[in-house]
Amino acid sequence: MTWLARGTLLRVLAPLAAGVALAVALQAAEPTTRLYTLISPSLLAGLAGLAGTGVLAAVALTRRRAAIARAAAADAAMQRAAAEATQDRLRFLMRLDHELKNPLTAIRAGLANIDQADAAPADGTSAALASVSAQADRITRLVSDLRKLADLETQEIETALVDLPGLLHEVAEAAAEIPGASQRTIRVTVPRAPWPLPRIEGDRDLLFIALQNLVANAVKFSAPGDTVEVRASEDDDGLLLEVADTGAGIPADEIGQVWQELARGRAARSLPGTGIGLALVRVIAARHEGRVAIRSREGQGTVVSIRLPAPDRARTAPAVAGLRQHRDTPDMAAG
Amino acid sequence: MGGHDGRPVVVLADDDEAITSNLAPFLDRAGFTVHIAPDGEAALDLVERLDPDGCILDVLMPRADGREVLRRLRAAGRWLPVVLLTQVGESGERAIALDEGADDYLNKPFDPYELLARLRAVLRRARPGRRPLSASPTLRAGDLRMDRISRRAWLRDTELMLTPKAMLLLDYLITHPDEMLSRDRLLEVLWGFDFPVGTRAVDNRIAELRRALGDDPARPEWIATVPGQGYRFVARVDDLR
Repeated sequence: MTWLARGTLLRVLAPLAAGVALAVALQAAEPTTRLYTLISPSLLAGLAGLAGTGVLAAVALTRRRAAIARAAAADAAMQRAAAEATQDRLRFLMRLDHELKNPLTAIRAGLANIDQADAAPADGTSAALASVSAQADRITRLVSDLRKLADLETQEIETALVDLPGLLHEVAEAAAEIPGASQRTIRVTVPRAPWPLPRIEGDRDLLFIALQNLVANAVKFSAPGDTVEVRASEDDDGLLLEVADTGAGIPADEIGQVWQELARGRAARSLPGTGIGLALVRVIAARHEGRVAIRSREGQGTVVSIRLPAPDRARTAPAVAGLRQHRDTPDMAAG
Repeated sequence: MGGHDGRPVVVLADDDEAITSNLAPFLDRAGFTVHIAPDGEAALDLVERLDPDGCILDVLMPRADGREVLRRLRAAGRWLPVVLLTQVGESGERAIALDEGADDYLNKPFDPYELLARLRAVLRRARPGRRPLSASPTLRAGDLRMDRISRRAWLRDTELMLTPKAMLLLDYLITHPDEMLSRDRLLEVLWGFDFPVGTRAVDNRIAELRRALGDDPARPEWIATVPGQGYRFVARVDDLR
């Protein structure tokens, strides 16, 4: 007999046994009670059984409620921890941003000063200045990219109905501006049968950035002659947007880190960029209640997917609340 | 305009000495007489004493931050052009800056030449003794009327139904008339930062505005395309009381 069946049997037998025991006890203890003569032993046993069942059910229900409450508490604690981690990260990004902005502004002003004052710098000096300038610009880009990420997590986003095929074609068209794109075959695939893709509720600009980033990556990590596909499809779980390429692929030991801010694979170190692209895609997907995934084989290529909920369920995720840099925030007040 | 030597006088308020000591000589060489204020109260004192042509205010400063200085200046009826140096790359933040009547703003860390361009533009646009367009609650440009506080706009008697971003863009265009506004600049207005790729988002919103206004890009009444560069709001803008 399984554990469950044994439990059920016990639940049925226990009230019955309790009822019978009560009836026997009453009969033995007060054989002449008038009250007892009015009530039949079987009715008494039934009533006692009902009471027993009630007690058992109440005990079971309380235990189940306690278990649910414990699970909910654990769940809430996990959510709180995740939210706190996000807030901590955002706070850190903002502090970093804040601490870097003023020195960078000063460096750029200083460089402009030198540039303005010294019309014909000595040999070697101008090369050194150009290099310092370029590095200052690079840090500026990094700072602003980190800022973008934090902004995207906190900013209100504007939603409207988005026509996915139109969006995908626009992404492919805009891809022509990416260096090297003309030497790749960029193809858009959207289903028309049995029915066209539904329109989804979302921020078109943000979805455009996400897809455009993926296409730019696909071009960057592939070679002339490779193929890049921009695809959309629908199933019972929702919508799937994919950007796939026949490029270099990502080494297995690097694939886990690609979604993190500033992650740059070995292959990317010689290429321009700040390593913010995929992190941006992840945040944009999350703001649309979507998920991202990546599959890659070294030497064969990569496919990155954004899974969005079905249109009727699609909502945009709320901004991470309460983390606007504000003049009253104590740790920002130093100016 | 300007001090006794004809050079425009500008108050530069920032508490970071590294910034003021580098920016002041840069602006000086570019033809401005610069007075430095290390905090908000000092900036207010300088404006009171010098009656400058323009003011550059950092947002985060001790003793009255940039916004408070701006509010107090405007409340006192001082309409000199103000450029805010903001820390936050957020479009909402900028909208607030505009509501408080800043003529323009720049996000740190900015390109100093961009600050120069902005400063010259706001001084050129300045209407001495009169409220700048950016501090006016209601503006009119031809048949277009805009209530900037409630963020609503009407074409003749019909209210325009615009997305919040298109409204933000229209607000910036109408308060910066006759100025070439690059796509990158407008992108920053809309999003508080530039996109990693392309500026189609700007073109899409401009198209939305043109549709709503019935503006023909070939013969624009309001928004003209500056080929290869950006857009220009070409209609004459008036302040409605």
